Amino acid sequence: MNKVLAVAKYEYLIAVTSKAFLLGVVMMPVFMGGAIVVQYLTRDQVDLTARKIAVVDKTGRLFDVIEQQNKIRNEFEIFETDEDGGEPRQTRAEFSIERVEPESDEEELGIRLSDRIRSNELFAFAVIEEDVFDPSKQATVRYYSQTPSYQTLPNWIERVVNGEVKRERTEQLGLSNEDVLSLARTVPTRTFGLIERDGEVKEENRVLTFMVPFGGLMLMFMMVMSVAPAMLNNVLEEKMQKISEFLVSSVTPFQLMLGKLFGAVGVGLTLSTIYLGAAYGMARYFEIDDRIPFTLYLWFAFFVLLALVIFGSIFSAIGAACSEIRDAQSLMTPVMLLVIIPMMCMAPILDSPSSTFSRAISLFPPATPMLMFARIAIPPGPALWEIVLAVILTALFAAGCVWAAGKVFRVGILSQGQAPSFAKLVSWVLTK
Amino acid sequence: MRARAPTITPLPCENIVSVVTIENVTKTYGSYTAVSDLSLSVPAGSLYGFIGPNGSGKTSTIRMILRIIHPDQGRISVLGDDSASAANDQVGYLPEERGLYKKLSVRRMLQYYAALKSMPRAEANEAIDHWLKRFELESWANKKIESLSKGMSQKVQFIASAISNPKILILDEPFSGLDPVNTEVIRSAVLEMQRRGTTILFSTHDMGTAEKMCDFVFMIFRGEKVLDGTLDEIKATYGADSIRLRWEGTPEQLNSIREVERVIDMGGFQEIQTNGDSRRVLSQLVEMANVSLFEITQPSLHDIFIRIAGPEVLEASREEEEVQA
Repeated sequence: MNKVLAVAKYEYLIAVTSKAFLLGVVMMPVFMGGAIVVQYLTRDQVDLTARKIAVVDKTGRLFDVIEQQNKIRNEFEIFETDEDGGEPRQTRAEFSIERVEPESDEEELGIRLSDRIRSNELFAFAVIEEDVFDPSKQATVRYYSQTPSYQTLPNWIERVVNGEVKRERTEQLGLSNEDVLSLARTVPTRTFGLIERDGEVKEENRVLTFMVPFGGLMLMFMMVMSVAPAMLNNVLEEKMQKISEFLVSSVTPFQLMLGKLFGAVGVGLTLSTIYLGAAYGMARYFEIDDRIPFTLYLWFAFFVLLALVIFGSIFSAIGAACSEIRDAQSLMTPVMLLVIIPMMCMAPILDSPSSTFSRAISLFPPATPMLMFARIAIPPGPALWEIVLAVILTALFAAGCVWAAGKVFRVGILSQGQAPSFAKLVSWVLTK
Repeated sequence: MRARAPTITPLPCENIVSVVTIENVTKTYGSYTAVSDLSLSVPAGSLYGFIGPNGSGKTSTIRMILRIIHPDQGRISVLGDDSASAANDQVGYLPEERGLYKKLSVRRMLQYYAALKSMPRAEANEAIDHWLKRFELESWANKKIESLSKGMSQKVQFIASAISNPKILILDEPFSGLDPVNTEVIRSAVLEMQRRGTTILFSTHDMGTAEKMCDFVFMIFRGEKVLDGTLDEIKATYGADSIRLRWEGTPEQLNSIREVERVIDMGGFQEIQTNGDSRRVLSQLVEMANVSLFEITQPSLHDIFIRIAGPEVLEASREEEEVQA
């Protein structure tokens, strides 16, 4: 065991003191924080160039309303004042409206207005059809522009036209504006957890109930992807650099593999601790830490441990069996499918964590660590027997992976030449 | 044609403790037999030459001694322990194919190798300092391996195998790729370790080097033992009847002499094995043609190997080497 620990200590220290690890740990929060800072700093960096739109109002009743609403918008809605007072500053572009009378040759009018847009005299033009007030007609407002990605202007036109159309229709029905607002008022739905006899019932945070299982699953996936392929490279590199034979003269191949596995698991747990610590800190900052039970952190640590053992041993066995990176990549492909199964099943599990599909797939050992964690993180969580069964099955599967990987490692670590076929790997596993 | 083991009587080793004993070991890889029914005994404190051409089964045997691979049949005992469970901290090993962690410092890498041999940290640092000083590498202790020259790297590789002061040091082709200066440095270090009591098991295909250094010689060819004994004993067995001859006559004339048993053409001269009085051979030769060299010699290991295995076998071995290359 001392030799296993010697290998594990070496592998762990080499990994966590490497520049790549330090950069990975530091840079990820820097990137995430940086993205927030950049968004904050660029929030006011909007194009304030005035947009001129020509309106062809075939109803003859809407242009004045649009013009009036635009005056109000340009006077009040495009300015913001900071919380601490001070001068209002413009945060949105000003619009100007030009009246264009309808013509009998609508096509010719459209060409002329389009040419004015092309020569930057206009930003867009809109044609309001004659029958927009009649709900039985399928009349529309047609908006023409050469910058369709700019949605603020067409959205504003739509809002103003529809507001006026609704107002006029309700007037025709003899309803006041207050009546309309009363009719349109929605009934909100609030979601809560179950009521305890002696406990306080808490309102559920929809974002939180999605983010915790989703974030945990993504973090676990990241841990597996950062640690397991690195193990493959590590073993393959030692083999290619002819270091392996020296190592296995001092430790048995199984001790070597186990030491490397422990070291890699240690690296994964260290990374997880750092990120979970950061997540806990953020939860406290936003005062939602009481919504994430501490046992969930423990479940995460337990399942990430199992995931790292399973995929770490499989990847290290592939590294030992191959002599070239190209060969290793072809053997990695089916294993990568196992790694991404949980990602593919994430949506149905988040949507319906207790469905038969969710239960079955979360008991498939290679997918269990990520999916069972996700199910536990979604209240009320799976039944106790499911968790116990998942733990037993996955622990047995992880032990089986380590045992089989040890067998492959023993034969493969000194083998040279072409990568073994899958059948050959199986025969190595079955070799006494 | 397969080489047969000569009928050399094993050494009388009653007073010598054997540190490695191999009994009737066979190892196969699929249909290929790497080692066949091999038995040997390495005396404690000896410099034991394990020789044979490339591909003869040396590395497989060494890997079995180190428990890196396991025999299909037979028994292997190292320092009295024949369990196949764990590698032995008392055995140092310098593999034929050597590599180092290029990104590590010399000291850090040697510390790791020492830890794998279960050496306490303080003891390891002491040994590292000793060996770096011995090879004049002190100033390179904290430099990365990738910054070392090839010669320095080879010295560091040797230190890695000897760092734990093992009772047995197994060197697989230790001088392969070394320049003459570094060869001498390593050779001197090996002999120093032997004087301090370490048993050296020295594997090489270079029979000349083995002949210069080894007390005991074990020759393997195509997985089978062909020679085993002390150098003196082997030469005594094969030596007295060898004559080196350079003359103007033909091989047919040589074969016509009744006392000549075998003629091996070595290029510049012929080696003759006789079964009788060498003076009678000389007198007949002189009558046939001019003789410029007539020397009664002890044969080299190379000569003995050719004699046992036959020149055609050596040729076949060379071809095998070329195919492997």
